[in-house]
Amino acid sequence: MMHSTVAEPDGMRYGRSSMRDTARHTERCHSIVLIGAPGPDKAGGRCQIRAMSDTVKSVFCTIVPPHVLDRLAQADDAARADLAQRTLEHDSLQRTRRRVTALRGVAAPAGTPSDSPQRTIYDAGHRATQPGKKVHSEGDAPSKDATVNRAHAGLGATFDLYLKAYGRHSIDDAGLPLDATVHYGQGYNNAFWDGSQMVFGDGDGDVFLDFTIPVDVIGHELTHGVTQHTANLEYYGQSGALNESVSDVFGSLIKQYALGQSADQADWLIGAGLLGPGIDHGVALRSMKAPGTAYDDDVLGKDPQPATMDDYVRTSRDNGGVHINSGIPNRAFYLVATALGGNAWERAGKVWYATLTGGELASDAQFADFARLTVASAKSLYGEGDEVQAVLKAWSQVGVPAS
Amino acid sequence: MRIVITRTGGFAGIERRAELDTNGRPDATHVQALAHRALAASPAEAASVRGVPDGFHYEIDVDGRTVHCADPHVSHDQRELIRLVLREGA
Repeated sequence: MMHSTVAEPDGMRYGRSSMRDTARHTERCHSIVLIGAPGPDKAGGRCQIRAMSDTVKSVFCTIVPPHVLDRLAQADDAARADLAQRTLEHDSLQRTRRRVTALRGVAAPAGTPSDSPQRTIYDAGHRATQPGKKVHSEGDAPSKDATVNRAHAGLGATFDLYLKAYGRHSIDDAGLPLDATVHYGQGYNNAFWDGSQMVFGDGDGDVFLDFTIPVDVIGHELTHGVTQHTANLEYYGQSGALNESVSDVFGSLIKQYALGQSADQADWLIGAGLLGPGIDHGVALRSMKAPGTAYDDDVLGKDPQPATMDDYVRTSRDNGGVHINSGIPNRAFYLVATALGGNAWERAGKVWYATLTGGELASDAQFADFARLTVASAKSLYGEGDEVQAVLKAWSQVGVPAS
Repeated sequence: MRIVITRTGGFAGIERRAELDTNGRPDATHVQALAHRALAASPAEAASVRGVPDGFHYEIDVDGRTVHCADPHVSHDQRELIRLVLREGA
């Protein structure tokens, strides 16, 4: 594929490239663009390239990790950069800070919720609409559409882990029906939880494949629903990174439970199998075992996740780096799970689940708040023993105070 | 007319930014009209702009006028413009 043959000077990413480099860069982008978008508008593509060649500022048309763009925005003068940074953060906070409606305290319906999931899959028909046409119900025979079957199975795997490992009945612990929309948008490179249901894109087939492929992605998204119904962690800054981390933790546990893997057998990757043929150097989107090592590619950039607080990334982008700094609590969980051994969804998972759902975790919790509560959960579940020691040691290793 | 789209967030958390200049484009009139509609269609409610976990956020800048939107509350015109400029599914 074309981008494997183009060596990209580091300077280009920081906006200091020469005109010649910029021209080469835009040309490379053009190639990516045509592969990623099989649409009819190739004339538009040419005009776009001409326009960009006139612009010396480079980084258009590339997929750039937030930390790289932040460097771009930084001034040489440290004080000025700091001021600009704080302005950016404030601005971003005002603009994008959001709270998913708290559903805590809503009374569960009378009666015991079912021990079986109630799944429905809808097909958006490649339009950006929800829910779309109903194509599969709980009792139906498998569909001819593999995407529908994967979504159905992934919702089931998620329901299973929460019920069997933690006694939770669906997302709201009251038997919430699990709805998912597949084939959302055209070449749509994403999946999300919209507050009440799952939405999956097909990916563009180049950078990303179908988002129903990795079961941990399905588990990740549905866990956003669990968080919404429990601690309701604000999706910004450290509480947002905790929200993301909790989704990665249980997403990975759902995969491990489905595959019957113990902590030492698991790959601890998020999104393995999702990267398309356009990505030459990457195994997944995140690594809980070794944050920052999932990819290092000319299309995706380098995995920006830190593994410890020493490398915590301060940024206004991505809601304050919710997908970046989640690497720190992710690695803490990995360390606890591997220190204890056996199945990660058992002791380590129970400690994290009790922390998330116990009612003590504030919606604006910081890493240290979460860490302290995991210690308290470990003590209350298992007393003074290996579990508490493993939790304390893990947080210490990633540089988060837990006591 | 210069149109800059910045997309942030998403499951991958990877940012994407692209620019399009309508000068010299055979479809300049169409794209300019689309951009005007995309600006006008920005939802007034803050909740719509805040988006959802792992949802994409978009900043649409048209000659210095900027609007923000977030999945799934993106108008048809905004989505068409985003797809045209980012040249990727939206």
